[in-house]
Amino acid sequence: MTLTLSGLSKVFGDATAVHPLDLTIPEGSFFALLGASGCGKTTTLRMVAGLEEPTGGRILLDGEDITRLPPHRRPVNTVFQNYALFPHLDVRDNVAFGLRRRGVKSVGKQVAEMLELVQLGELARRRPGQLSGGQQQRVALARALINRPQVLLLDEPLGALDLKLRRQMQLELSRIQAEVGITFVHVTHDQEEAMTMADRVAVMNGGRVVQLGEPAELYENPRSTFVANFLGTSNLVEAQVTAAGPDEIQVKAPGADGTLRLPAARCPAEGTGAGDTLLVGVRPEKIALTRAQDADQVPGGRNRLTGRIRDANYLGVSLHYLVDTPACAEISVYEQNVERDTRLTPGAEVVVHWRPAHTFALDAAQDMTAGEGEI
Amino acid sequence: MANSPLLAPLRRLRRNAVVLAGCATLGYLLLPNLVVLLFSFNDPAGRFNYQWRAFSTDAWTDPCGVADMCGSLGLSLRIAVLATLIATAFGTLAAFALARYRFRGGGLANALIFLPMAMPEVVMAASLGTLFLNMRVGFGFTTILIAHVMFCLSFVIVAVKARVMSMDPRLEEAARDLYAGPVQTFWRVTLPLAAPGIAAGAMLSFALSFDDFIITQFNAGSSTVTFPMFVWGAAQRGVPVQVNVIGSAMFVIAVAIVLGGRLTANRRRKS
Repeated sequence: MTLTLSGLSKVFGDATAVHPLDLTIPEGSFFALLGASGCGKTTTLRMVAGLEEPTGGRILLDGEDITRLPPHRRPVNTVFQNYALFPHLDVRDNVAFGLRRRGVKSVGKQVAEMLELVQLGELARRRPGQLSGGQQQRVALARALINRPQVLLLDEPLGALDLKLRRQMQLELSRIQAEVGITFVHVTHDQEEAMTMADRVAVMNGGRVVQLGEPAELYENPRSTFVANFLGTSNLVEAQVTAAGPDEIQVKAPGADGTLRLPAARCPAEGTGAGDTLLVGVRPEKIALTRAQDADQVPGGRNRLTGRIRDANYLGVSLHYLVDTPACAEISVYEQNVERDTRLTPGAEVVVHWRPAHTFALDAAQDMTAGEGEI
Repeated sequence: MANSPLLAPLRRLRRNAVVLAGCATLGYLLLPNLVVLLFSFNDPAGRFNYQWRAFSTDAWTDPCGVADMCGSLGLSLRIAVLATLIATAFGTLAAFALARYRFRGGGLANALIFLPMAMPEVVMAASLGTLFLNMRVGFGFTTILIAHVMFCLSFVIVAVKARVMSMDPRLEEAARDLYAGPVQTFWRVTLPLAAPGIAAGAMLSFALSFDDFIITQFNAGSSTVTFPMFVWGAAQRGVPVQVNVIGSAMFVIAVAIVLGGRLTANRRRKS
């Protein structure tokens, strides 16, 4: 069932939680609403569930208007943050709750099957208070899924779990979604979680969707500094355009020795010409480091900046460097821990270089640090 | 030194200090009850049951042997049951209103609810008596019931309100999300969750109403005698052993109810 939000908005007193929002979520997709706390993602979800009344706009499920339906009449179920399991009922009765309310008489078989799906068969007679966080999470999922909703809403479902369990549940949720084929709408502030599980992600900020797309598309081609910084980290350098061709744009960063090149297709502003200012970005894992003495070994045609290592951290799977350059302080670099050059220590003169194709550009008229360090 | 055998008893004492203090406190609380129980098996010489003479089960086999006593007991039980039912029903409704909704006068109502608990009972008793007198209501069963409902109400509201405030509102949202309409949500989720608070309020009401003397004394009139009033009257002339029998029976029943509740809760948790 396709879920369509059309001009959906919510105002609390004098604060606008959600600005008029247009969103189409195709049938069977795993859709993530990603944003920092207070960005309006949970309010949007609660409006779809019917727990919050929209100030304006409509919610359509396969073309049918459900905006004014009370929550118990909507073919939509929710997995709540912190699960909201009924403490006075055991696991079986929690899972059977929705079926019984709809007048289904013999629920035993369906409940057993559902508990099998979430691997909780042997805990059917336990109460929620006797379960671990991960088990409670599965009960909450089973309790919602057993109703075969047309859309399943998940409100930070993994937020209360520790890191390892969260990873495990991410895979499991993906497996279950593939198995049941129901449309999942997943609200989260964890960009990694959204990218791992969802096939489409809408990044929200200040009550608006700032960018919508597949995870790889969002990560590789952020269209604002907020997305560039909120999804992973980005190195952003302010630079002047020196030449703009149909395929390639050349820019010069203040203090840099040469020019930097990037594909014209990765520049957001149409008709960028010489003299304009851009924010040029590159992801830290795309950058390589070479000692200044060996600078002649760097292949030609790569974007390069010279600088000095300020900080080096050994992370096991990779190495993280911070490099100060005249054009940009603290360029962040991740190198795979394959051929570790032990001479790359703080104070070493280095060249940082990357392929022009890995460079993206953003409009310079925005806060360079938007979305940094937000949760 | 530290392992000296002389210090061993001292160490054991220190390790069990909390248990010992607990037992001593329980003893302090329960000793009067045990004395009452013991003297319910006494066969006193005169009218006063203060000295142990001989073991007898006379009072237990004939608990209603004293004139008017069982009548007053029945009256007290009737009033306690009715007052509990009325106070619990209205108190629960009021508690939900005060805990869930903001309305004009809500803060004032919250403060007024504490008044019957904080006010000296004599003052309340006398004021109520004056009120009934001026309204020309005849003293008796009805006035006692009204007075008892009044002071029980506060306790029910406080107990239920505390419970309702601590309930997670998302549980009701979850119920609505899972196809329960407003009425079903109330019966299947809200009420079961509030039940411990309601039960606590009801039990408090029953106990308070059953043993109230001061307020009852001021509002009973001359011909209506509750059990506490009967005991008070009897104490002037000598307390019959049957009073100890009733007191002990009440004590045993109360303990049995508490233990029963505990056992079923434990069994439910285990299964």
